[in-house]
Amino acid sequence: MTLDDLAFRLNEFCGDEGTTFDALVTEQGILEVVCSNDDEFPIHVTMTETQILSVTPLFSTAEVVPGKLSELNEAFLRLSAAVPLSSVGLQGDTYILFGSMALSTRLEVIAHELEVQAENTIDVLEAVEHLLA
Amino acid sequence: MGVLRDMFTAFKGGANEVGEAIVDANAIRILEQEIRDAENAIASAKQSLTRMKSSEIKLKREVATIDRDVADYEQKAVSALNAGEEALATEVAERIAELESERGEKASEQANLDAEVQKIHAMIKARERTIAKNKRELDKVRTVQELQRATSSVSKNFAATGSSSHRVSKALERVKAKQQGWQDRMEAGEWLEGQEAGDDLDAKLRAKGIGDSASGGANDVLARLKARQAG
Repeated sequence: MTLDDLAFRLNEFCGDEGTTFDALVTEQGILEVVCSNDDEFPIHVTMTETQILSVTPLFSTAEVVPGKLSELNEAFLRLSAAVPLSSVGLQGDTYILFGSMALSTRLEVIAHELEVQAENTIDVLEAVEHLLA
Repeated sequence: MGVLRDMFTAFKGGANEVGEAIVDANAIRILEQEIRDAENAIASAKQSLTRMKSSEIKLKREVATIDRDVADYEQKAVSALNAGEEALATEVAERIAELESERGEKASEQANLDAEVQKIHAMIKARERTIAKNKRELDKVRTVQELQRATSSVSKNFAATGSSSHRVSKALERVKAKQQGWQDRMEAGEWLEGQEAGDDLDAKLRAKGIGDSASGGANDVLARLKARQAG
């Protein structure tokens, strides 16, 4: 399955709870997915030879309240294990929420994973909102 | 090889500025080439292994044939001796000696080949494990590359909008407002459904003449008129 296939199938998809996706492959060759339950933080989907990676950029280190970076990092370390299916990471100076799946994952499972990631984004951001400027 | 350790060193060294690749694309191409070369080497090693193994099998079969011939001649030599044919028995014994020396040569050749086959086989297995490990390492590098790509296209946007404060809080507010609106609409839908179901119930009750019934009044009037006409 290519990113274009995945985009096409996600756009046709409708979840049990009425969740839909707006998926588009960007010029940089990244699949940008907007999930109907959270249209503010799009998920960026990309592939390696073995995995499908789903990345939601959250915020940059510059957006953290000055002096609160360590507190934020510790909060993320403690939170991460409790977040279903997604993990929190730091990529460059951007905090990300990400998940990974095997290339052979079925569409329904991919859709579920993306839906959960979109929900997780809101939950995680709410948890650390007080540390952001 | 420890790609993760190298990457961590790179992070600490500050090589990870936004948009700057930590992993050298050239290094990846070299790693990929190494994997391909090793795979080709294994493929040709497997071909020669097959040839060696088939020679070994052939030798083994030849040794078994000689063993059978020797046993056969031994029996014949004994028969010749029993028949008092000493000269013939000696001739047979010479033939057996020839066969045994031939067998010795073939058996040692076969043993050597067998040892060689085992060695090459073990080597191929070891190389295959190395390749599998290299591929996993390569996948780690690729994962980091892809994560970088997937993140950097947005972090440029962050930089542009970063000056506006409370970006995240504002976005959260918008999402929550939208979710609340959605929930309100769902509740309204449920309320409407409930109302319609209630209307249905009233209609059913009326049909059975239970509760307030307008038609009951009309029937009463009609009955009254009929009674007056009859009277």
